[in-house]
Amino acid sequence: MANETSNSSVIGQTFIAGLWRENPVFRLLLGMCPTLAVTAAVKPALTMGLCVIFVLFCSNIVVSLMRNLLKPHLRILMFTLTISTFVTIADLFLKAFQPRMSETLGPYVPLIIVNCIIICRAEACASKNGLFISIVDAIGMGIGFTATLCVLAGIRELLSTGAIFEIQILPLGETGGWFVPWAAMSMPVGAFITLGLLLGLVNIISRRKT
Amino acid sequence: MFRIKHFIEQSWLLVVSAFVFGLLIAVTNAALSGRITANDEDKLYNLMRGLIVDAKDFETVIKEAQIPGGKGKVNQTDIYRAIGSGERNAGFAFAAVGAGFADKIKLVIAVDGECEKFFGFKVLSSNETPGFGSRIKEDEFGGQFRGVPTGALEVIKTGDAEKIDSQIVAISGATVSSEAVVKIFNTYIGEIKRQLQEKGLIGNGK
Repeated sequence: MANETSNSSVIGQTFIAGLWRENPVFRLLLGMCPTLAVTAAVKPALTMGLCVIFVLFCSNIVVSLMRNLLKPHLRILMFTLTISTFVTIADLFLKAFQPRMSETLGPYVPLIIVNCIIICRAEACASKNGLFISIVDAIGMGIGFTATLCVLAGIRELLSTGAIFEIQILPLGETGGWFVPWAAMSMPVGAFITLGLLLGLVNIISRRKT
Repeated sequence: MFRIKHFIEQSWLLVVSAFVFGLLIAVTNAALSGRITANDEDKLYNLMRGLIVDAKDFETVIKEAQIPGGKGKVNQTDIYRAIGSGERNAGFAFAAVGAGFADKIKLVIAVDGECEKFFGFKVLSSNETPGFGSRIKEDEFGGQFRGVPTGALEVIKTGDAEKIDSQIVAISGATVSSEAVVKIFNTYIGEIKRQLQEKGLIGNGK
């Protein structure tokens, strides 16, 4: 009974770690390239997040299954091979079923191959744990990454266009409203400012908690 | 013998994985490549239709036309003829590519049936800076090419953007992207015109 409780506690903690305590963007500062590059609007940010969840999920499963066969000096090569396979598949699916989104995301989908979150989870979790824990870790980390991207993108899209998910929320000045779009928020400078402010906010909240 | 055994022991997983993953990608690619090609063609045809409004259909008149791009580089493009009502030649269109500020810019350029005037251009793909270079997609810039005679174009920093002539007013803050678009026009149009004439599709040979 005690064993069962401790198992479910480990699973719960593994899942929650990705959402807050070890959030890839806010706590580990991993995957900064897509975080800054595709968060001008929520739709591309969500698509990128879903692609990362797919790749993380599949690569964690494969790495976990082959963990006892891995030679220490070949493990990074094996991780890269595994990750690049699933990234290529995700990229092909996007090109086939979401061609416009694939174009919007441009090179950032193929660049998931070098996204530190995925290789970090393969090394830190999947290569050391069983299949179930690796899957839970992939889902937790993936959702944590996606949620962060969406929050960042939501703020930037709202301030740069007055819309979220392309739904107009703030009335634009040119249509008789009061909102003047802040063009800088759709540019790289907007990504850096928003990320910096959110990181500061997360640090304040974490300090208060401790 | 020992070396071969050692090599196999160390690398069998890598070799097997490479084979399995390669197969997985090949199968996915085979399953989706038709759809991906159809998407690309759809986009090209939609853009061409947007440029040549009279077009009912398109036919490829020159396949893989060779366009010298400078420094010994040669670009290839298909030239399409727009078929208007009553099988009339409604114009020609082709994809063109050149270096932009951030990455390559791919355009679809359309000209009239005699290749004397530009109908304009649409952007097939570009990764120019949002808010600056990305404005090459806007009509304020693209409209300057509409109705311009098909000769060499030049970029000017200030001027009347509404005047239809070979001088194209650059986008403020995106001179490099504006120059890149004009350079693509200048690189392609002379050679396209020559090849259309050679095939007897325009001019006296028509």
